Amino acid sequence: MKLAYYPGCVSKSTGKEMDASTRAVSAALGIELVELPDWNCCGATHVSHELVATGLAARNMAQTNLPIMTACSICYSNLRAAAQRLEEPETLEKVNAVLDRKYSSAYSSAKIRHALDVILEALTEGDERIVVPLKELRVAPYYGCLLTRPQGVYSPQFPTILENLIKRLQAVPVDFRLKTFCCGGPIFMPQEKAADDIAFKILAEAKKAGAEVIVTVCPLCHLMLDAKQKVLEQKMGEKIGIPILYVTQLVGIALGLGPEELGLFMNSVSPMAMMERVYARLSE
Amino acid sequence: MPGDEQFKQEVLRLAGHELLTCIQCGTCSASCPTARLMNPSIRRLIKLCLEGKKEEATHNETLWLCTSCLLCTSRCPRGIRPKAVVSALKDIAERAGLQGKDAAYEKFFLEQIKDYGRIAELALTAKFLLVFPQGAVQSMQMGLELLPRGKIDLKIEKIKGRDEVKKIIEELWKK
Repeated sequence: MKLAYYPGCVSKSTGKEMDASTRAVSAALGIELVELPDWNCCGATHVSHELVATGLAARNMAQTNLPIMTACSICYSNLRAAAQRLEEPETLEKVNAVLDRKYSSAYSSAKIRHALDVILEALTEGDERIVVPLKELRVAPYYGCLLTRPQGVYSPQFPTILENLIKRLQAVPVDFRLKTFCCGGPIFMPQEKAADDIAFKILAEAKKAGAEVIVTVCPLCHLMLDAKQKVLEQKMGEKIGIPILYVTQLVGIALGLGPEELGLFMNSVSPMAMMERVYARLSE
Repeated sequence: MPGDEQFKQEVLRLAGHELLTCIQCGTCSASCPTARLMNPSIRRLIKLCLEGKKEEATHNETLWLCTSCLLCTSRCPRGIRPKAVVSALKDIAERAGLQGKDAAYEKFFLEQIKDYGRIAELALTAKFLLVFPQGAVQSMQMGLELLPRGKIDLKIEKIKGRDEVKKIIEELWKK
């Protein structure tokens, strides 16, 4: 399978391990990625003007005829939302008037794919490439907001694709009430307290549910739950100590890829104790 | 005092005419992760728009507490997009020259895309701290986590198509 790859801005900074693990897992599963040649920022959640946001996304989408894969839920949501808006002829005309390479309606939101979905499709039930089945590992599936919104192929409130993937790795998805609740990430700079409160709620809920690890599909969710975890523990006076892995990192572990390749040393909360349990259960 | 009809029409143009069908059920407010901090609530914000109350609708903390999570939009029984209303109001407020840390953050974000085509988080944060030094503690804490792990990019990447990106922003902004 050959796909265009849209890494997104965080792939160069706070989400380096997201990018590394996405590339490593794709290679291991025979998914060929061709990076978009001159991609630009999708605008994330900070471009209020819808038409500008649509134009930024359209420039990216016009660069390829292949389906586009991204591992970032924000990029994914923005590209899909833009593709939906570009179905209106008036919007398409305005946007194409400013694009060098024109966007064609032959593209559709169906051609924008999240790495999660591509990986699940590539992994069969009982896939032999899963050399490290994650037996008994209790995984909290954290969807966050933008993987499922605006509505596309997954239910915006009760999605199950992460659970499906977790089960395919032979791990156990924990029942996690706040799985589609926002992490607060988009406002963490100017509205620190509001964002901290909701991020901590998610961590506390996952802990209560008995999760050994939380998987995320978005670099901002990851930042809030992983890089901020220690600070949140101090502020709220409660120890959490749960590693936060990108879904691609979790899949990579099951595929037997090395920690270096998967960027596991870049995570703030070390997943090494969790990995030891995984290996111990394997030899039981 | 009569409402500002021109303001109301501008919100409808930007966020969609379905706004007129709002039944004030409050599903949006009940879904919002930051609702308890909002005043006015997102439900009331929509009412203010329909009443043409520009000042109250554009000068409040509610706009800046929206995380863009889209749960309100997914759940609205009338097919209204409350998040799009928030975006429209931010846009109207920013055009009218609204100042403040939150508006500044959005402004710097867009400026970076215009200048480089991409976001360089370190430079963005540095610029933001000049207008909001109170964010320095959090930024230091984040820096201590990210820097040793090689997750702060010190150089700024610029794309080739910067002129095109600039044109996208400047031309479409007017529409």
